[in-house]
Amino acid sequence: MIEDDLHAAFARHEPLTPSTGPLRVAIDRLAAVRRRRRQRFQAAGVTLALLGALGVGVPQLRPDRPAADPLMSGKPADAQSGALNVLLLGVDGFGEQPPYRLADSVLLVHIPADRSRPYLISLPRDLEVSIPGRGIDKLNRAFHSGAGEPRPDLDAGYDLTRQVVADLTGVRVDAGAVLTFAGLRRITDAVDGVEVCLPEEVRSWHTRRVFPAGCQRLDGASSVDLLRQRRYLPDGALDRDRNAQRYVAGLIRAAVAKDVLTNPVRLNALLSVPGKGLAVDDDGLPLTRLVAVLPKLKSVDPVGLSLPVGQPVDDRTLLPLDPKQGRAFLAALREDRLAQWVAQHPEQVNPAR
Amino acid sequence: MTYEEFADARLAPLLRYAVMLTGEPHQAQDLVQETMVRVQLNWRRVARADSPERYVRRMLTNQYVDWRRGSWVRRVLLRGEPDASVPVPTDHAQSAVDRDQVWSWLSRLPRRQRAALVLRYYEDLPDVEIADILGCAVGTVRSSISRALATLRAEYVEA
Repeated sequence: MIEDDLHAAFARHEPLTPSTGPLRVAIDRLAAVRRRRRQRFQAAGVTLALLGALGVGVPQLRPDRPAADPLMSGKPADAQSGALNVLLLGVDGFGEQPPYRLADSVLLVHIPADRSRPYLISLPRDLEVSIPGRGIDKLNRAFHSGAGEPRPDLDAGYDLTRQVVADLTGVRVDAGAVLTFAGLRRITDAVDGVEVCLPEEVRSWHTRRVFPAGCQRLDGASSVDLLRQRRYLPDGALDRDRNAQRYVAGLIRAAVAKDVLTNPVRLNALLSVPGKGLAVDDDGLPLTRLVAVLPKLKSVDPVGLSLPVGQPVDDRTLLPLDPKQGRAFLAALREDRLAQWVAQHPEQVNPAR
Repeated sequence: MTYEEFADARLAPLLRYAVMLTGEPHQAQDLVQETMVRVQLNWRRVARADSPERYVRRMLTNQYVDWRRGSWVRRVLLRGEPDASVPVPTDHAQSAVDRDQVWSWLSRLPRRQRAALVLRYYEDLPDVEIADILGCAVGTVRSSISRALATLRAEYVEA
């Protein structure tokens, strides 16, 4: 009899079923949105191959339209001549969900036209910049300003930061990416950990970890931990930027050691790791097209540099651009003669290991 | 078969099925919407299945059973606890109370058990097919149905 009651109860509640018309429309609309988003991720995947080639493949990556178009148009990647500048933003915030707040690591990857080697240029987060719509503020605030609240938009945060960086440096930003803690963790684990060589011991403010001086292999979680640290470091955020460069150098070495860079199959495998958001399905664009840039690089050993900054004025925490060295550095960057500048200022190079 | 043809034929039955699972029209819509978006985006894979209809029913059932893990659930839960909108019987005739109580007791069952009941007593599917949809053995289907029925019988006694 309970079976009969169940039958009856189900049948009686059939009229609760809403009509399918609006639902059908909603399904089509949502599917269209997700398809567009997936296409963007596929396009992003191509640029990701470029970054992956440099050992900095990350999720949340997106190409910038004007410069990316020739890359997407089917020309071989090595048709891309001239210097390339890729903007990487490390954003604090946990997991995949908001809140993302500040872009505390701002790294410009510069590949000179002669393809001699990549340059990693850290822009200090406390750098004094002019942010459209906000006035004079710290560089890391640009991301926050653009992303907005209460549901921050990574794309908008990136766009505003890119504009600020382009205005500041005077170089064209060809592509870029936003790297979250989760993305950092996954890419690290995908290459079985990254060897980072520290000049001095680093104690974590957030966990009990202690990173001894010297070389050590870090898994994803400890890499994230290391790259969050600034409080106990003598030079604060500037030292943290240097650690970020050491991490990227180690990531490149890991990718080289695994033969990821020159092997399209392995590169593809690595790039499929970062997560659901980046799922490149079987009818996506060939990821490997941009790997053609790789053999052109004479060395994948990066040179780590920081934008020269001066002392803060008064009691403020804003760091001004070093009036002399900073301008000379930016001029060298714009004119693609960093090798010469580095030769003249060897003390500005951060030892990567 | 194209996605359009599939949706023309199967959307309404799927929505009814989802109503029986969730007991509530809004959640049913969300459940079907989420499932059908994925069906549309992966239509080639769905169409390759022996029975696309059963494949999609399995997707929808999994989505329902696993819904705490999925992201869409968070959105759904904002609407209140499941089955909050089911009318609580108060001053109906005794027989009506009994009838509506069966419906509300269903909401307290574990989701897999409820799905098994819906598949057998609403969809009238054989146990083999239920097992296929739930991704378990036929024996497991039978035992979860009998456990669910035992729970409901106990409610009857208390009521």
